[in-house]
Amino acid sequence: MSRTEQVGAVYDRGYRPYDGPRGGRRAATAALYRTSLRRAIGLRRPWRQKVAPAALLAVAVIPAVVNVGIGYLTRDTPAEGFQFITYREYVGVSSALLLFVALVAPDIVCPDRRQRVLPLIFARPLVGRDYALAKVGAIFTCVFAFSVLPQAVLYVGKMLVSRGALDYFRANTAVIWQVPVAAALLSLFYAVLGVAVASLTGRRIVAGASMLGVTLVSSTVSAILIHADNGGRVVQGNHPAALLNILALPLRVRDLVFLGRIGEDSPLSGVAGGGILAAAGFTAVVAACIAVILYRYRSVET
Amino acid sequence: MTTIVRARGLTKTYPGVTALAGIDLDIPEGRVGLVGANGAGKTTLFRLLLGLARPTSGTVEVNGIDVAQDPIGVRTNIGYMPEHECLPLDQTAADVVSTFGELGGLPVRAARQRASEVLDLVGLDEARFRPVGGYSTGMRQRTKLAQAIVADPKLVLLDEPTAGLDPSGREEMLALVARLGGFGIAVVLATHLLDDVAEVCDHVVMLDGGRLVTDAPTTTLLQRTGTVTVDVGPAAAATLAAALAGRGLTAMLDEHGATVEVTVTGDGDLDWVRDVVAEMGLPLYRLTNRLTSLDDVFVHRGPEQR
Repeated sequence: MSRTEQVGAVYDRGYRPYDGPRGGRRAATAALYRTSLRRAIGLRRPWRQKVAPAALLAVAVIPAVVNVGIGYLTRDTPAEGFQFITYREYVGVSSALLLFVALVAPDIVCPDRRQRVLPLIFARPLVGRDYALAKVGAIFTCVFAFSVLPQAVLYVGKMLVSRGALDYFRANTAVIWQVPVAAALLSLFYAVLGVAVASLTGRRIVAGASMLGVTLVSSTVSAILIHADNGGRVVQGNHPAALLNILALPLRVRDLVFLGRIGEDSPLSGVAGGGILAAAGFTAVVAACIAVILYRYRSVET
Repeated sequence: MTTIVRARGLTKTYPGVTALAGIDLDIPEGRVGLVGANGAGKTTLFRLLLGLARPTSGTVEVNGIDVAQDPIGVRTNIGYMPEHECLPLDQTAADVVSTFGELGGLPVRAARQRASEVLDLVGLDEARFRPVGGYSTGMRQRTKLAQAIVADPKLVLLDEPTAGLDPSGREEMLALVARLGGFGIAVVLATHLLDDVAEVCDHVVMLDGGRLVTDAPTTTLLQRTGTVTVDVGPAAAATLAAALAGRGLTAMLDEHGATVEVTVTGDGDLDWVRDVVAEMGLPLYRLTNRLTSLDDVFVHRGPEQR
């Protein structure tokens, strides 16, 4: 007996027409965004799918907790004021973010293509641009939240363990806008890169590996070029080949947000116009990724 | 009757292929069968109706809205059930249908409530909370139908809804399709199974090689042929055919040799058939007017019409 027969009869529970409010394109895009975000953080999914976002959040918060703990333990000691990690360094410092995007972007993008859900989605009142916006937006939201939340823990924690909370607030007002702006740029970069790579294949594992491959290969090539050009000596900074390191581009832009220039600890420091070059490289990568995404999600054939 | 789809000179060409060749269509509300062999242009027509493809030339309107001018407006009121697999396999039917309700513009709460209602309607009650990946073909087809109607569209496009179903599943699916008209939802049912169309549709559009073969009410196509079918059992069919021919009637065995098909010109010929059967002492199981089938309409069209 087939399973169709087992589930059997069609029940006559009637049908009620719907005459309530009905949204259009914006509502459809928002719905796709919500669905993708739920999927990304594992809501309404088995516990296995909740591990990655929970682990990422835990890993991301650990430095903040450690830093606040150090601040508390070193109060009224000669080591008071020691910073385990600064707000600037905390933006994008964790490779867990990259791993998270490499896991989640393929997970919310690839099945739609592989399981041929796209035609069904595009038969609704939205277009390819809306689809891309919803998917990029979902990853952006995750990365942004996981970047900013630990910073908030750090900020509030340090404020509480400082001698004067108000003094600490006054002395660190700038980070209140610097952290969200830098985190937003970092999140945008990771989101468009993740969705662009994932849009090229229907296989999650291939997309994830490609995402890691693109970033790791570019950083390796950059390091080899810098190393070779310096005759094998380890020299800090002053080499334009550092721009080839895609993984580090958002960190260079982060430096621009916090310092207004490339940080001293960057291999790009000392390069004439390094800040402009970094911003241009960042913009070029983001623009290229957006172009790939829009091309891959053309909803209308001509 | 209100026209729900109007096409004029609708043409769609791909490199080396003409998928639709300048067809004019006026599809009324109700249940309409879109019939044609594979490659006839059915799916292309659906893509044009949904605004997912642009016509090479010509125009098409759905619910009075020009698809080229306002594809989003058109899609707001259309449900679509593709032929191919299209469901997210790791999600439950409740989540899938609810999500597509939201994508169709329903608020979150309304989408979940309607998802529950339409899943009941299509016969997926408890199973709705299991992942779609574990469903049988019939259950997946029901889920596809549920997501197509969850947003209460004015028109639903069904692409081969009975594909892959066993006989009972097919009957249930056709029964559901037949009921949609009563819900105020116009249906265009694309299929190559003429029996499906004859069973549930009140209007037929036939395509062949991108050209329009027929666009007419089903009743005008299924007319009397002037032939009656006489069933006296397979064993006596040949004997009866010979006897009727001896009386001057045109009688021949059907393709299976089980019944006799007799050409009649009036009630007098029917009396002759009755009398011959009685004289031969045969049991008369059935004496019916033979109607044209959609197969007849499709197959017997002249080449100039196809």
